[in-house]
Amino acid sequence: MKYKDLLIELVKREIKARYKQSILGYAWVILVPLLNLIVLTVVFSYFIKIPSGGTPYVIFLFTGLVPWTFTANSISVATQSVISNTSLITKIYLPREIFPIATILAKMVDFLLTCLVLVVLLIVFGVSFKLTMLFVPVIFFFHFLLILGISFFLSAANVFFRDVENVIGVFLTIWMYVTPVLYPQELIPHAFVPFFNLNPMMPIINSYRNTILYGTMPAWPSFVYAVVFSVVVFVLGYKFFKNRARYFADVI
Amino acid sequence: MNAIQFDKVSKKFRKGKKLLLKEALLDMFKPEKTEVFWALKDVSFEVKKGETLGIIGPNGSGKSTILKLIAGVMDPEEGRVVTYGRIAPLIELGAGFHPELSGRENIFLNGSILGLKNSEIEKQYMNIVKFAELEDFIDTPVKHYSSGMYMRLGFSIAVHTDPDILLVDEILAVGDTNFQKKCMTVMQSFKKRQTAIVYVSHDLDTIANFCDEVLYLKNGKPVFKGDPQKAISKYLNENPQQ
Repeated sequence: MKYKDLLIELVKREIKARYKQSILGYAWVILVPLLNLIVLTVVFSYFIKIPSGGTPYVIFLFTGLVPWTFTANSISVATQSVISNTSLITKIYLPREIFPIATILAKMVDFLLTCLVLVVLLIVFGVSFKLTMLFVPVIFFFHFLLILGISFFLSAANVFFRDVENVIGVFLTIWMYVTPVLYPQELIPHAFVPFFNLNPMMPIINSYRNTILYGTMPAWPSFVYAVVFSVVVFVLGYKFFKNRARYFADVI
Repeated sequence: MNAIQFDKVSKKFRKGKKLLLKEALLDMFKPEKTEVFWALKDVSFEVKKGETLGIIGPNGSGKSTILKLIAGVMDPEEGRVVTYGRIAPLIELGAGFHPELSGRENIFLNGSILGLKNSEIEKQYMNIVKFAELEDFIDTPVKHYSSGMYMRLGFSIAVHTDPDILLVDEILAVGDTNFQKKCMTVMQSFKKRQTAIVYVSHDLDTIANFCDEVLYLKNGKPVFKGDPQKAISKYLNENPQQ
């Protein structure tokens, strides 16, 4: 905890610096997902009608889109987090894992703000409070570990192979389409379901929807799979990062 | 008491780093290993509290590598590097500055990077601003600073961290005379306060005046260590063009 103040300063830097020199400033954090939501809702509920059960599509979509945006933004920015601090890494000793962690915490602030928008939308669309909503922080905890673990892998690998940052955009796009963010899980063709089940983001997104919209607890087998997956990725990612960090200053 | 201890330290780099995946993969099937280059070979020295060690040598002799090893950003392949206390690197001043943030915000950011707690920075805040002579511009984003202002702020933060070890790399060469004088005064006062200083420079006059001992490096190997005058004359003999 010696580095607590530094971590706070780094998170503040990420947040403050990003929207300097823009008129709307930090409001962009809320505006971008809202604009996304509007476009996607128009496309997928008017042009292409994706069934979303009894829930209005806009709500169905946003409960999946908010956590997905957090995942994608965190991973894509965290991948660059080590090399974008080259000048520090080659001059001063800091525990290097502080860079991806600070980036993700800054994105988490964004996430919490978009969650407020989600809450407003839920109220507007008459979704009532359910006890299962209290489980959301547990889902978030493992969701967060997963993001952190992946970011440790990618940010360290990116120091040695800059190919990572180029491929990550495509990878995240594909990942979004194989995750039921825009569509319900029921639309996945039966033959593909076993493959889709390997994706840890599927149970995470489904669990958010279950607990927030439908008042049911997560489907346990798949949720437990996501928990185990996240913890393993986190532990391995951290070890990989620590092991590689010794060579950052040599190659960066 | 020792502040820095180098015990038979060697550091190697791989020649021609394999940064492309294809090369790295092909490399695995090659029988001979990548050629290595020893940036430092078998270097031992110690710096006591309050002592100043100068390091001289031609370009590429391993001077900056020593600073990086002391700062702890690199690990040696062989040998041991031990340091005691807080290290302030006066290398590339303002390395952690964010151009879009104001001087004030950067003081807090950079201070915490150098290991200060928030409360400590608040205590030193006015001194830092005054020393950097930036009272009127402290709320301006540092991207609008002149390079002199930028450097003054970086220097001011670093020297207000109350370091036990100060690493200095050629910074005096960049500022104007006024700034250089100021730096020298501060460094003298650090010496009195028992701070260990490692000073890397090509400015042999300052080295001669300021250092207690000088290490002369050539191709990563220590050639001479001891009396500054002797080290410098040895260096000049071997590198007449200087």
